[in-house]
Amino acid sequence: MIDPVNLLAIVLMASVTYLTRIGGYVILRNRTLSPRATAVMEAAPGCVLISVIAPDFVSDNPADLAALAITVLAATRLSMLPTVIVAIASAGVLRHLIG
Amino acid sequence: MSISQATLSDRTEGGIGSEFWRGMRSCTPVLLGIVPYALVLGAQAAQKGLSPVEVPLMTGLNFAGGSEFAAIQLWTSPPHVLLIVAITFLVNSRHLLMGAALAPFLRHLPRRKVFPALFLMCDESWALGLADARKRAAAGIGPAFSLPYYAGASIPFYLAWVVFTGLGAALGPVLGDVEAYGFDMAFPAVFLVLLAGMWKGVAAARPWLVSLVVAALVYLLVPGAWYVAAGALSGLVAAYFLAGDA
Repeated sequence: MIDPVNLLAIVLMASVTYLTRIGGYVILRNRTLSPRATAVMEAAPGCVLISVIAPDFVSDNPADLAALAITVLAATRLSMLPTVIVAIASAGVLRHLIG
Repeated sequence: MSISQATLSDRTEGGIGSEFWRGMRSCTPVLLGIVPYALVLGAQAAQKGLSPVEVPLMTGLNFAGGSEFAAIQLWTSPPHVLLIVAITFLVNSRHLLMGAALAPFLRHLPRRKVFPALFLMCDESWALGLADARKRAAAGIGPAFSLPYYAGASIPFYLAWVVFTGLGAALGPVLGDVEAYGFDMAFPAVFLVLLAGMWKGVAAARPWLVSLVVAALVYLLVPGAWYVAAGALSGLVAAYFLAGDA
């Protein structure tokens, strides 16, 4: 049950990920990054994560938008597990009520 | 190292086994937290057409949750390999900084031990390992970085991640369409919690806002998954220029 293209994607993903893990140790060990380069690298994961979920922010379903607003509030106050529970529950309930 | 430090280190440095246990104990709370997260990832991956063999293969070889969530979100059949690899690199580029921060504590270790240890470096094991090394350095315990402690903190985490993502992939199809119950909202929820954890004030988050706006516009106007690359890159460009006025 392994598709060759899926396998290729997985192996390449794993390779670049491992390079990021050893890269800091091997290359950046004895160097100081410019403040600009540091700022870009620190912003990068957040930029990617927010881009991936951007479609949820422009959903045409009002129930989903309301659930997302509740989830944003929960994420700023709660840890992972309670936030996920709040998100699932609010989406489930609001879709039944409004959807 | 002074004599008093050597004595202290003899007294406090437990055997490899006890150091491993100490690591395991400190990672237990985090371990419980990732189980639902891993199940959701596995179930969503199964829905995207990945098999219960491919899912643990991915999580076992890649072992970086944020990038796996992003990749699964973008997965099609067949997948856009380059897009997925590029997004994986961007999400995981923070490892470069993490490895650089850990490097001064790894000087006493040979590379044949460092390279496998770094394979297990995730946000959680890195944070635990670095915090422990700083604490031990402050207490004068040498070596500050305890490899068995780090192994105890990271190996159970690795095993739990692979097993529970695999389990999620096997159980996902049994549960049926996750969207019907609102389970799909777990994804933005996980991402938003990760973002909240990275929050360093409004100024540092301005590139995120740029990414959000650009990605949303591209998503509405351009078909396909280009919105992720467009949003991420415009955020990075914004970070580059905004860093000037900091």
